[in-house]
Amino acid sequence: MNEVINKLGQEYVSVDLLEKLVYSHDLAVLPKFVKPLFDTTPVAIVRPKTTEHIAEIMRLANEYRIPVIPRGGATWGFGGTIPVKGGIILDLTGLNRIVHFDEKNGLLTVECGAVWEDIMHFLRETRWKLPTYPSSALSSTVGGWAATGGIGYGSLKYGPFLKNVVKATVVLPSGRIVVVDDKSNPNLSQLFGSEGILCIFADLTLKLIPKSDVEVPFMANFSNFANALMSAQEVLRLTSPHSLVLKAFGFVRTKDYVESDTYFFGCVDGNRYEVYKQYLTLDNIVNRYRGYLVPEDEARREWEERFYTLKIKKWGPSILGNEFIIPTHKILDMVKYCWQLGNQAHLDVEVEVMFISRYKALMFQLFLCDERKSLRYLMSAAITKKVLDAAIKAGGKPYGYGLWNFQFMERAEPEKKRELKRIKRMLDPWNVLNPGKMIEVRLRLGFPLPGKLYSMFMDGMWFLRRVM
Amino acid sequence: MFILPKLHLENVFACAQCGYCVKKCPTYYFLGWESASPRGKIFALKEFLGNGGKLDEQKLRKLGKPLSTRIFNCTLCGLCKEVCHTEIDVLEIWLKIREILYEHRLVPQGVIKLSEIIQQSKNIYMMDNVSRTDWVTYTSADVNFKDSAEVVYFVGCITSFSGRVQSIAQAFSSILNSMNEDWTLLKDEWCCGHPLVLSGGIKEARTFALHNVEMIESIGAKKVVTGCPGCYIALKHEYPKLLGKKPGFEVLHSTQLLNSYITSGKLAVPKADVKLTYHDPCELGRISGIIQEPRMVLQSITDTFIEPKYFGRESICCGSGGLLKLVNPYLADNLAQRRYEILTSTNADIIVSACPACVQTFTQTATTMQDGKRVIDISQLIAEQLSLI
Ligand SMILES: Cc1cc2nc3c(=O)[nH]c(=O)nc-3n(C[C@H](O)[C@H](O)[C@H](O)COP(=O)(O)OP(=O)(O)OC[C@H]3O[C@@H](n4cnc5c(N)ncnc54)[C@H](O)[C@@H]3O)c2cc1C
Repeated sequence: MNEVINKLGQEYVSVDLLEKLVYSHDLAVLPKFVKPLFDTTPVAIVRPKTTEHIAEIMRLANEYRIPVIPRGGATWGFGGTIPVKGGIILDLTGLNRIVHFDEKNGLLTVECGAVWEDIMHFLRETRWKLPTYPSSALSSTVGGWAATGGIGYGSLKYGPFLKNVVKATVVLPSGRIVVVDDKSNPNLSQLFGSEGILCIFADLTLKLIPKSDVEVPFMANFSNFANALMSAQEVLRLTSPHSLVLKAFGFVRTKDYVESDTYFFGCVDGNRYEVYKQYLTLDNIVNRYRGYLVPEDEARREWEERFYTLKIKKWGPSILGNEFIIPTHKILDMVKYCWQLGNQAHLDVEVEVMFISRYKALMFQLFLCDERKSLRYLMSAAITKKVLDAAIKAGGKPYGYGLWNFQFMERAEPEKKRELKRIKRMLDPWNVLNPGKMIEVRLRLGFPLPGKLYSMFMDGMWFLRRVM
Repeated sequence: MFILPKLHLENVFACAQCGYCVKKCPTYYFLGWESASPRGKIFALKEFLGNGGKLDEQKLRKLGKPLSTRIFNCTLCGLCKEVCHTEIDVLEIWLKIREILYEHRLVPQGVIKLSEIIQQSKNIYMMDNVSRTDWVTYTSADVNFKDSAEVVYFVGCITSFSGRVQSIAQAFSSILNSMNEDWTLLKDEWCCGHPLVLSGGIKEARTFALHNVEMIESIGAKKVVTGCPGCYIALKHEYPKLLGKKPGFEVLHSTQLLNSYITSGKLAVPKADVKLTYHDPCELGRISGIIQEPRMVLQSITDTFIEPKYFGRESICCGSGGLLKLVNPYLADNLAQRRYEILTSTNADIIVSACPACVQTFTQTATTMQDGKRVIDISQLIAEQLSLI
């Protein structure tokens, strides 16, 4: 660590005990019994201020074979930022500057630690806006989204994040700084979504879109899920909204705290006439499926609240969640299955469906539970495995692997896994960049954790959960 | 072994770790490390708690000191509560933890010292409490010491003792006089006890609440008015909790009273040709919800009222909250400078606030920055406009 301190300066490095504790986790709660399997405590945390700092750390990591774990806003829940065999956590939030704004062409270069909300603020006074951003925009970083899914509000109309990036400066595991785009080797799409195991995004050049004349939020209530879903699909067929999100609740324990109706909300943008026409069509469709559009101010409130997607957690107080991409014609089956599982485990569930296109959606389910009951929590955690099993069977795939979903990659995307392994071997022969994630997981003592064994263990937990 | 009340405990566990509070936190803004953020601190607290809300004494012994440093590197401005995804009363948690740290004598040395000073001298400055009303002589204010009155003006330690802001008391007294209020000062006002609550010394604060309430009730006052948001919170919200009953008087902040004078037509202030901006004190605006009243007063005085970046519920702290100035003056200065720069970037002629601590802090910053910007309290502005001072 002394060398790191010498190269970067004391103020950028911490080995404080409390600091190590608070950097040893992400959004998800690690079940007590799982924690000892990994060495989740970093040896140090480094807050680089420049791309050169990152490169320096990577060079040292190679020299001393120390794992380096990139970390943005730590809002991803699949264990991507949790150390599994100690190492250095690179807190990238200090790299948050606007590097360049090409106002004429609507191109914005930002450092990886920039938070989406700050970029939105920056663009307020300009004629440009972001085509897409995640619903965690108030705290997640640009680099974090490039490293993970890249699907969010606006993706329905303007495509995923990847489609809206021109180029990026990345630090390779060797410490080499390179600029990547569509044509480079490796190229942008190979590195996008690589969950911090192939490279560290240092800065990205984002493609912006001109602000629309109007943005009109909408929200429609329905008394049952099937109608809401059919209505949403019809809306997608006949209009082109900026975003469309469907929400449903399955309450088994408590009936009184949130309406158990189904609703969808979103926003239409464009020129005034076009938006007006779309809104009328939307109203028509919603009525046909026996729903109703709420008044505009209520819809606007819901839209403004769109970043607060975990509100329900306060009643848990914990949640067990997972996300997957699913063909739209399988949504109904999956929602019913989530409710069925919730019923079996006696857990309330919220389901959120964010449409990506007419044919695909990102589905997100939250089961309410209580982490303080450690054993029960561990057993309940198996519910997320059941959901993913069903999603893969239905032609879907997990929306991220990290530490917790690694076992599904072989089944869901075997070719992608092989390709990732190949690039990983080539770029990171010493396996120093975020090891033990996505394509393989190793336990504290260095033994690989076989996906099948893990899978069987989770099935066993689920069995116990149901009988106990 | 301490057991947190159920609500507090569940609150800690309800944290989504979404990080919406991180970037907003004014001290994290400068410190940058996760443990300085509300999210980081909540996570650490979770690790300190076992099942049933029992605090792990062993962990507390091992990590109590570094935890305490983090807990006190906070202005208790409440922005974290404002943006909380799961609507946790984060502010309550910070206070509760300070209480626990205080009982374990794990609070920073300066905080222990302050608590001793207050208990000994009944004010935060270790002054002879008899000199609390010396400001009357220094400012030649026309004040009353009555045995019975309708209104008590509770001045507070900072306004009473700090030369920089004593003119706030002079100004407010002159307004009360001009409104023909039947008012008085307390003959033996003690510190409101709020700094003790912020230190974690709840038991100690109770003695102060008892004394002040007894004094006010002996006068038979129906209203107590104060210009200090800290005293306001103590009198209005903390005393009922500390004493287990609601005192028999109404508590007002000076801006509420001023606004009621103006809206009822009792007070007409001549318009001034000045550009004003207003800094919402955290404890008055976000925490107490008094946001509109000072604005209505200011808008009646000027046609050029400019809102700074971050105002109302989103206002950011001047650095003097939560005892930060005592614990980490360097960090507090950084916060003050950041906010001051935001306020001056409005190009207003005068920066107005409604808190002696904020006014004192920014006046000091203005001196350091040598840009000669005038910083005053809203009562001073009114008294000047009315040529009362
Ligand atoms: C309320 C809420 C709403 C959400 N909504 C969405 C949504 O709409 N869409 C969506 O896709 N996700 C969503 N997420 C998940 C998460 O916020 C996103 O994946 C986000 O982009 C992660 O960014 P981060 O900065 O928090 O990354 P982190 O959580 O810090 O890191 C995530 C992964 O990326 C790696 N990483 C981080 N930064 C870099 C970098 N610069 N270079 C290389 N690797 C890096 C890490 O090692 C880790 O594996 C949501 C989460 C929450 C809490």
